[in-house]
Amino acid sequence: MLTSIIDHLLADTTRISLPLFYPELVLCATIVLMLLVKIFPAGEKLHSFWLALAGSLLALGLCLWRPGLSQLATLERQELFTGMLVFDGLGVFLRTLLLAFLVLFLVLTKLTHLADREDGQDFFSLVLGATLGMCLMVSANHLMTVFLAIEMASVPSYVLAGLVKGRRRASEAALKYAVYGAGAAGVMLYGISLLAGLLGTAHLPTIGDRLIAGQGAAGPGLDSGVLVALALAAIMVLVGLAFKLSAVPFHFWAPDVFEGATAEVGAFLSVASKAAALGLLIRLVAAAVPNDAPTHLIAVDSVRAQLVASSSVELSTFAPHKFLSIALAVIAAVTCTFGNIAAYVQTNIKRMLAYSTIAHAGYLIMPAAAAAQVGGAGMRDPFAAILIYAAIYLFMNLTAFAIVAFLRNSLGSEEIADYAGLWRRSPWVVVAMVVTLFSLVGIPPLAGFNAKFVALYALVAAGGPWMIALVVVACINTVISLVYYLRVAKVMIIDTPTDEAETSPAVSTAAASYLLVTTLPMIILFLFPQRLFALAQAATASLFG
Amino acid sequence: MSESAQHLVMWLIPGAPLVAAIIIALAGKGLLKERSHWPCWIGLALSAACALCMWKTIVPAGFDSHSPAVATGYEFLNIGTMQVPIALRADAISALMLTMVTTVSFLVSIFAAGYMHHDPGYPRFFMAFSLFVFSMCMLVLSGNFLQLFIFWEAVGLCSYLLIGFWFKKPSAAAAAKKAFVVNRIGDFGLIIGMFLIWTTFGSLNFDDVLLNGAKIQELATTSPGTITLICSMLFLGAMGKSAQFPLHVWLPDAMEGPTPVSALIHAATMVTAGVYLVARCTPLFMYAPEVQVTISVIGAITALLAALIGLTQFDLKRVLAYSTVSQLGYMFMALGAGAAGEDLMTTAVTAGMFHLFTHGFFKALLFLSAGSVMHSMGDVIDMRRFSGLRKVIPITHFAFLCGALALAGFPLISGFWSKDEILSVLNKASAHTIYGKYFAAVFWVACGTAFITVFYTFRAYFLTFWGPTKIPAEAGHHPHDASPVMAWPLRILAFASLIIGGAVGFNHAFADYLHHGTGLPHAPHGSFNYSLMALSTVISLAGIALAWFCYVQSPAIPEKTATALAPLYMLSQNKFYIDEILWGILVAPLRGLSHLSFLFDKYFIDKLVDLVGMIPRWISAAPRWLQAGSTPGYALVMWGGLLAYLVLVMGSLR
Repeated sequence: MLTSIIDHLLADTTRISLPLFYPELVLCATIVLMLLVKIFPAGEKLHSFWLALAGSLLALGLCLWRPGLSQLATLERQELFTGMLVFDGLGVFLRTLLLAFLVLFLVLTKLTHLADREDGQDFFSLVLGATLGMCLMVSANHLMTVFLAIEMASVPSYVLAGLVKGRRRASEAALKYAVYGAGAAGVMLYGISLLAGLLGTAHLPTIGDRLIAGQGAAGPGLDSGVLVALALAAIMVLVGLAFKLSAVPFHFWAPDVFEGATAEVGAFLSVASKAAALGLLIRLVAAAVPNDAPTHLIAVDSVRAQLVASSSVELSTFAPHKFLSIALAVIAAVTCTFGNIAAYVQTNIKRMLAYSTIAHAGYLIMPAAAAAQVGGAGMRDPFAAILIYAAIYLFMNLTAFAIVAFLRNSLGSEEIADYAGLWRRSPWVVVAMVVTLFSLVGIPPLAGFNAKFVALYALVAAGGPWMIALVVVACINTVISLVYYLRVAKVMIIDTPTDEAETSPAVSTAAASYLLVTTLPMIILFLFPQRLFALAQAATASLFG
Repeated sequence: MSESAQHLVMWLIPGAPLVAAIIIALAGKGLLKERSHWPCWIGLALSAACALCMWKTIVPAGFDSHSPAVATGYEFLNIGTMQVPIALRADAISALMLTMVTTVSFLVSIFAAGYMHHDPGYPRFFMAFSLFVFSMCMLVLSGNFLQLFIFWEAVGLCSYLLIGFWFKKPSAAAAAKKAFVVNRIGDFGLIIGMFLIWTTFGSLNFDDVLLNGAKIQELATTSPGTITLICSMLFLGAMGKSAQFPLHVWLPDAMEGPTPVSALIHAATMVTAGVYLVARCTPLFMYAPEVQVTISVIGAITALLAALIGLTQFDLKRVLAYSTVSQLGYMFMALGAGAAGEDLMTTAVTAGMFHLFTHGFFKALLFLSAGSVMHSMGDVIDMRRFSGLRKVIPITHFAFLCGALALAGFPLISGFWSKDEILSVLNKASAHTIYGKYFAAVFWVACGTAFITVFYTFRAYFLTFWGPTKIPAEAGHHPHDASPVMAWPLRILAFASLIIGGAVGFNHAFADYLHHGTGLPHAPHGSFNYSLMALSTVISLAGIALAWFCYVQSPAIPEKTATALAPLYMLSQNKFYIDEILWGILVAPLRGLSHLSFLFDKYFIDKLVDLVGMIPRWISAAPRWLQAGSTPGYALVMWGGLLAYLVLVMGSLR
């Protein structure tokens, strides 16, 4: 008996799970290798960057050509490690996104000489470790792995935030980040324990089944007390996610951390961390909201019939998806508005971008609210919208922070006012920045337009007063955002610099070509969005069997 | 031909000029300079070769299955139920049109290299020129209304850029602006038409709209008003682009552009886009006979009016410009004749498209010859300042004569065949019971206009090339004829103008090919109406004789007539005061309104906007206060926020 179980487990692990887990394994091996190699005298001369780059390229390659992005549409959903993780289209899409970002990010740090000092090389272990955690986040299938993955991604991030030793602001930012992170993690853990306790499982698909069964006529039926507890638990789990997404009011760490940390780390936190949290959000929403809409409706109707008979509890309480939808809609609207308004008065570019990422978190959560409202296979389009937005957002934010990092190296300043007259020194950098800013606003012909369009289209398609209100909020916010984004462009192009003498280019050729590589996709993805759209569609298809 | 080869050939038609435009734009100023015409020549030659190949092999392959040739591109928009692919679609109509467009463009580009020599904007000219050909090819190859509209605007833009090519000349800048603005009126109609098509048919694809016979018929019985409205709006678009009365005012002014541009855009290609649009939408227009009659009547008015104005102009290019407007009127007269029965529809479209085809060649030739005259006369174009040039510039004289004969419909030369078809179809339409009387009137206007056309064409010819030799001072002592690079396009076009009508008209080859155009109803095989042919022969010979009599034999007559008919003469000389009337009823009131709006904008809206701009500044003080940096404070707000969420969400559930 026991041996057969062990045999089964072994077979499951070695034959099915491990081969599909190669990209993560490669990251693990790279981290270990980077640490070990330093023991040997010969290895000390080897810059960790090259190891990290090789490792992440290998992981990306595995992600692309092992059963991965290339066969996304025909991918079969498989649970790994006895259901702790899941391998499906969504995971593959986001993992590829994360690893691709990792490669771009590593190159950026090399170009900005972020980790060139002797003691700076631990940086790469931290980055790879955090990315590993994020990869786990997007393929988590169990509340346990959800929590572990979040922590695995967070702890290295705290250190990354305080990377610049001896700078007071950076240390303060890191400390604050860690304190709030701990707080949010605690709340989330409490929510998880509530959920697991109430439903008797922590396995996400099973949770979904139990929630449906709980409402069905055949099921035991959940009384209203349990439902309130469930709602409370859901909110608490959402707090953990909201913290990672920097949604209001769990965003307080963001402006301080982004200002204190280096711009490169800002790019990492705003893109990778957010993409992973979004993946997790999609998974949780998909688990909590019934996938099979028609039967769900029947279930609700029969409950309704019973309730009308007994008339003890109000009806609407019985729709967890409606609850989730409203919760997400409110968070999205508040986050978006707050981020944009606060960004309005910032004078430091990194702080402004921090609020901009908060605002974008709001836009990104909006389709999730729509998904929770429509339920069923109708969730595919909103989820695909999130993935498309996240992919486009990668290039926009990476470029913005990369420009800030390059300019910090040459100008020694991160104040917007000091960018005056940049047009004369490096017109192409300004062009890249303007393209990025316009794309962030969502103006055609740039990919940011497609991103915002699919997100808002998902809301309109979902319909209903809440969603229409969200569309209105998003549109007003877009107008507000125009002002502060364009102000940067205005300073760069129109304002006269205080120091006229400097006319040499502000960035090196290598940096300029890097910016070209990250800026071009914003135009290309506008003109040829079909491939990305198809990938996102295929990725979400696997969520619904 | 394999499918991929077919796609390649079709994409090369617009692709080669686009690549040429990009190359010239990037390398023109620094690298190519005086060699900037090379990419343009190569691109256009390739494009013309591919267009011929498409006309010869690709499109006929689909004749049996009545399917257009398609080259897939990529999906430009996919919103809900609206899919807009950027793809190429070609059937018989597009193939014939493209053959003319690309060949004429190629020849004009060769001429332009000689004509524009030493111009400081040399690369810019060829860049815009190639870009125009690209847009025009894309327009003709569109498979849906949206793509058509995009490139409809793109050719408009290129036209704007090229009319205002010498933008330092105030008159050129004004003319460019005028062309652009007047065209907006037409585009407004086109957009409305597209919206209506979208709401009615749920698609903008030609194949879904125009080939959906069942739906159109159902619509024609349930709500004929919709179809009438759609067609009127589409025709409004065509009126703008094809310079039909009263939107024709921009075209004569467009002569401010370099002459090759006038030849290419404002005579041979772009202005025929309106004709193409109406021909393309034949299946819709078939069910809107009232609109068709209107088209015919407007065409007749335009043709007559423009011809009358052309009688008294002294600017050689302007005579040709009005003649273009007038000939476009002819094409519309023919297109509208389909109202008199379905069996006449295809014949009517054939007649219109045939005239478009032949006109493209001979009008380009006439303009290039006029350009050549201008070139050798030191940019003087006023016919009163030169005369007797036939010995001075013999090549140009020969070319102009060929063009003039073609335009006059001299027997057995290009224009004769196509004009004869138009007269014949109008004649047939006169027999219709309801609309017959309109078409009878249109027919007589057409005959009358044909006579005037012959007269003013040869007036210009005799004034320029006959009489005593007179050369303006600007030309220098030895005016030179066209250089080889300019002469060869003239010779080739002259040859084409002489024979192309006969070559494809005599044996009905053009009509037989065009019959395969998608959406055209089946039509009986064409036959010649010999009595009409005799009539047009008489008209053209009489016109030439009269012109010869007035301007060579006894040059005093015109002046006497002018003084005798002074009021009428003034009317024609001043273009029937249409510009002034439009100014009075449209431009001046609009100016007043815009000034009012400006004041309102400045003193009310701007202040309001400033106020709105202040609001976020005030509001954003709150986050700043929240983000003061103290840890317990943050924590408090976090938990407060969490509680607020809980209350709000739970509250909204109850």
